[in-house]
Amino acid sequence: MMRTTMYKKTPYFFILPAYVVFLVFMFGPMIFSLIVSFFNWTGIKSPEFNGLDNLKGIATDSVFWLSVRNTLLYSAVSLFVVVPLSLLLALALDSPHLRGRLVVRAIYFAPIVTSTVAISQTFMMLFNTNFGLINRMLGVPIDWLGSRTLALVPVIVVIIWRWLGLTSIYFLAGLQGIDRELYDAAKVDGATTMQRFFSVTLPQLRPITFFVSMIILIGSMQIFDEPQILTGGGPSNATRSVVQYLYLRGFTQFRFGYASAIGLVLFIAIASFSAVQMRLRKESDL
Amino acid sequence: MRKLSRLSAGAWVMNIVVWVGGAFMLLPFIWMVSSSFKTTEEIFQPATFLPKSLDGGNYARLFSSWPFSRWIINSLIVALFTTLLALMITSLAGYAFAKFRFKGRGKLFAVLLSSTMIPFPILVVPLFVITSRLGMTNSLISLMLPFIAPPIGIFLMNQYASYVPNALLDSAKIDGAGDLRIFFQIALPIMVPALASLGIITFINSWNNFLWPLIAIRQELSMTLPIGMANMLTGVSAGSAPPYGPAMAASTLVCIPTVAIFLAVQKYYIQGLTAGAVKQ
Repeated sequence: MMRTTMYKKTPYFFILPAYVVFLVFMFGPMIFSLIVSFFNWTGIKSPEFNGLDNLKGIATDSVFWLSVRNTLLYSAVSLFVVVPLSLLLALALDSPHLRGRLVVRAIYFAPIVTSTVAISQTFMMLFNTNFGLINRMLGVPIDWLGSRTLALVPVIVVIIWRWLGLTSIYFLAGLQGIDRELYDAAKVDGATTMQRFFSVTLPQLRPITFFVSMIILIGSMQIFDEPQILTGGGPSNATRSVVQYLYLRGFTQFRFGYASAIGLVLFIAIASFSAVQMRLRKESDL
Repeated sequence: MRKLSRLSAGAWVMNIVVWVGGAFMLLPFIWMVSSSFKTTEEIFQPATFLPKSLDGGNYARLFSSWPFSRWIINSLIVALFTTLLALMITSLAGYAFAKFRFKGRGKLFAVLLSSTMIPFPILVVPLFVITSRLGMTNSLISLMLPFIAPPIGIFLMNQYASYVPNALLDSAKIDGAGDLRIFFQIALPIMVPALASLGIITFINSWNNFLWPLIAIRQELSMTLPIGMANMLTGVSAGSAPPYGPAMAASTLVCIPTVAIFLAVQKYYIQGLTAGAVKQ
């Protein structure tokens, strides 16, 4: 008798710690954040309900829209530069003709585990106007970090440098999962290397491409560390990301309601992107 | 050499492109380490690739002018305990989902799936309010708690727990072993690869974590490495030169453990990353 009741309770005991953490540190805060979005709360004074005022404020906040533009730019670079580039890299890393494969893999993969702060500080020095290596190599003193348009470049370079290996790991795993027989069959049919790539490799990689794009998109929309260290979001917000703007409003100005409303917009954007992608994935039967 | 000459033209181009690209990937590492050995005067001169001599002054300054050893200890404590707790919590939950049938299982699993959709940055305001109300501002525990039940870890554990043969569990049950004992003595050893993967990933993520510690920690002595390092350059008073040399020494030291761990046990790290991505 004792044993059967024990048995029935066991799984709940086993999952309890995880769900307590979810409740207290994820779902609870998320609901909290949702509610706070509709309040004027500066952290010192008690919160005051102000309806849609925060969201209306955001709608006409030019700095917010600038941060949206910057974030979308970071996402676009990640999707349209990092993803294709890492596919090509994965093909090379998978190729038996590549010399020193293991060394090359280690070189491209190592950036994934580096500290964003350490690496952003390193790039900050590399891009320094007067004593940085980049300008020394180019031979011109370009003010990378101080110019509104050029400051985006170092941020983008760090993103590519740090994320290229991550996405190519996924593609490499995808490539290694392709059934060799498909290539053999294509060879028998007289397909050239190029034809084999387009008729076997690419279609076989579709599920992984979806997966990688989703990870990259969701990750890049939350970018914070790299621009925060490299430029602090400046000059005059030219590189500020949405999460950086949330941080600025929330933790330098302590406008919790406004910051939460920015978070709400970010959440809706990310959720709808992933919903669209899941839909696409379902429709294409992957 | 003979082997090389057998490569086709296309393979030659590929090798050159990949290796030149690899050199660019290495460049920041080389610059970081090289700058960490340069003297202050050398850093503020036109860039050279290598330092004139190996000067350890930046490293000495790092430990004397900033509480760097304290930051290392804080980072280690946070990363180790986060990892340990995450492994315990996720392995228990993953095993329960793989090996038990219970009421609400499907719904609870759906909750788990939906939790992966919540972007962390939207939680920082409430997390800050909660931890400060609990009087946990500047505490290392507040840095661990939000990361001790990674949903992805539960998926990974669930996958490996499902490899545990049911016959093994049944025979242990017949021998009178309790559920907890069966979990620790039979299931957990089979789940070791998943534990290794998740452990490495969690440790590295915690070690590098920036946004949440930046918000939760204000006191210099409670900082973890990334926050302390960021503070080294931003906390400079106007007019004085930023301590780039010590910053590069710090960067070198903070990257060494994670890169070393990665190179040593690449296989587990990659398995952990790709577990959910590739259908077996």
